[in-house]
Amino acid sequence: MVMKMATVRLTCQDKKDLEKFTKFLALKAAQIIVQSRLGEKVQSKCKPHLSGTDWFNLAIQDLPEVHAETKKALCGDLVNAHLPMCVEISLRTVEGDTMMLETWSLGVLPDQCDPSVRVTYTVYNRMCVLLKSLLSVTRVTPAYKLSRRQGPDSYVICYRIYMGEPQLHNLGEGYNQVRVGQLCTPVGTIQLSVSFRTKMTISPQHTGKDTSIMLKSDHFHPDLSPRHMRYQQSEENNTSLTETIKIGAFADNVKPLTQPGESDLVMPNIPFSSLLTPQHQSPRQHTPPQQAPSQPSSVVTNPETGSGEEAEDDGNGNATPRCASAADSRRSSCSMVSANEDFIMVDLKTPFAGNNANSDLGAFYRDCQSAPQLKTFSEQPTLAEQVEDITKTLEAFESNMREYDDMLNSLCLNENNN
Amino acid sequence: MNARSQTFELTVEGRQVDEAVASLFHTVLFHRSLGKFHYKQEGSYSVGTVGYTDVDCDFIDFTYVCCSSESLDRNLKKEISEFSEALRGNDGPGSGQISLEFFQKKKNRWPFQPECIPWEVWTVRLELIKLNNEHERQVCREKVGDMLTEKILYIAEVMNRHEYVPKMPNQSELDLIFDTSYPDVQPYLFKVSFTTSGPSNTSVGTTMKKLIKETLSL
Repeated sequence: MVMKMATVRLTCQDKKDLEKFTKFLALKAAQIIVQSRLGEKVQSKCKPHLSGTDWFNLAIQDLPEVHAETKKALCGDLVNAHLPMCVEISLRTVEGDTMMLETWSLGVLPDQCDPSVRVTYTVYNRMCVLLKSLLSVTRVTPAYKLSRRQGPDSYVICYRIYMGEPQLHNLGEGYNQVRVGQLCTPVGTIQLSVSFRTKMTISPQHTGKDTSIMLKSDHFHPDLSPRHMRYQQSEENNTSLTETIKIGAFADNVKPLTQPGESDLVMPNIPFSSLLTPQHQSPRQHTPPQQAPSQPSSVVTNPETGSGEEAEDDGNGNATPRCASAADSRRSSCSMVSANEDFIMVDLKTPFAGNNANSDLGAFYRDCQSAPQLKTFSEQPTLAEQVEDITKTLEAFESNMREYDDMLNSLCLNENNN
Repeated sequence: MNARSQTFELTVEGRQVDEAVASLFHTVLFHRSLGKFHYKQEGSYSVGTVGYTDVDCDFIDFTYVCCSSESLDRNLKKEISEFSEALRGNDGPGSGQISLEFFQKKKNRWPFQPECIPWEVWTVRLELIKLNNEHERQVCREKVGDMLTEKILYIAEVMNRHEYVPKMPNQSELDLIFDTSYPDVQPYLFKVSFTTSGPSNTSVGTTMKKLIKETLSL
């Protein structure tokens, strides 16, 4: 009843003003929240002599993309929708794991209203104060520090704007809820609050299909790390090379590699199958070699499915661009993410270390990955030297990961053609 | 009239004093500063825009927002560093408090100065601690950051209660409410004052000072 009387008493102009103010409050709040999560310090200048251009007397720069997203989410207006607008901030690692960090919600509670308050003056000024509080509070929730440390090789911060009750179940146990501020208007109380995660441990849950070959989150586990295994396996390099190389795989691609009739080379079905499936302790060790051809194909398509997801995401969510606003920059950061994702765990054997008959293959390898020519390949190295060289070679491999990816992909294509 | 009063208590290392106080006072001032007023004719004025800047602390894991006004920052920092020097100049761990007081002026009959009536006071009470090693320092960095987080949330809460602030004046009385000396922002009139004391010397002098101060601020 109170509300009805209030709305009746509200003049048409006041109602219009209020709706307009609320809409801009939502637009500016979204800008403040998203910009605070870009990972950069924000600075805007005072404009003492300009007037009428900036809403709420605050120099909030508008990112066009955020503006468009907010407008799309708002559709109508906040006052009549009676549904809060939410800005969800989440973190996405290079491995593709996501973790929701916080949800900001701006809503109107229709049952608490103050019909006496002046719209054009009091409400507007209180909105200014609310936005200032929002600016201050966005800097102190845990997601702020995380966002300042984001990067394409670790994680990126993403945002999503939607209308509706805040979805808080993804914030984990014991999340915190803080009210940023509220203000009374003739049609209800505008309230801005944030719920944020307090437990920051990420539980691996792969969002993509689990068919990509080297997608593992135990990269830094001491027993499973490639560095550790590298030393463990250094002695069996000679045999593992002869076991795994199928000469035919390269035959029509680059140049003839081996003389026919070289009978001491064993030819398994799959080229580099032991490279693709880590031999020890790996969760994938059960993977039968026959599946290997299908695995590389998922590597090729995985970046695409990744970007497909992203495009789908565009309906309701977006990766936060690190610089400025362009959608391109967002996309590029995402493609970097998916590119890194695929070959984190290439667990290399060292194929050229020994004194076997593989020197031609060795040369081919060096051609492919352009590692510096090492003298030890032509000489008889001691075990210690071998290990050291292996380390160097592996490091070179790791630094040339991309070239190596390309080579692997071309190998896989060849295999499929065959 | 009684002024609203808020008090924060913090335990910090000496070198964190400036930043801890600045982060709280700047946040308060950011809320209590408007754009510059430009009067067109009596009763009608336009308001400028307030810019803002993120500030990272060096000795605390903390970032806060303040008005983008160099002169405001300079003035506030000057007051705070006087307090900081006085506090840290004491031998051994000391304590002290610094207040940011908003007031309005009331014209008095000539030849008396206008009367200053405080309407809001923010006080930060600091206890100094000495830390022995880098590990403790690291822990303290985070701990003080967490404490400041609570205080910032509290400041936002208080600001959004929308309690008394002086009425918008007309042009002739603008200087009674706002500090118009800054070229870029227009904060409500404010002043900063502080007291310090050593570990256990609440001397008669300071007690008297305190008494007088409290009497005056009533």
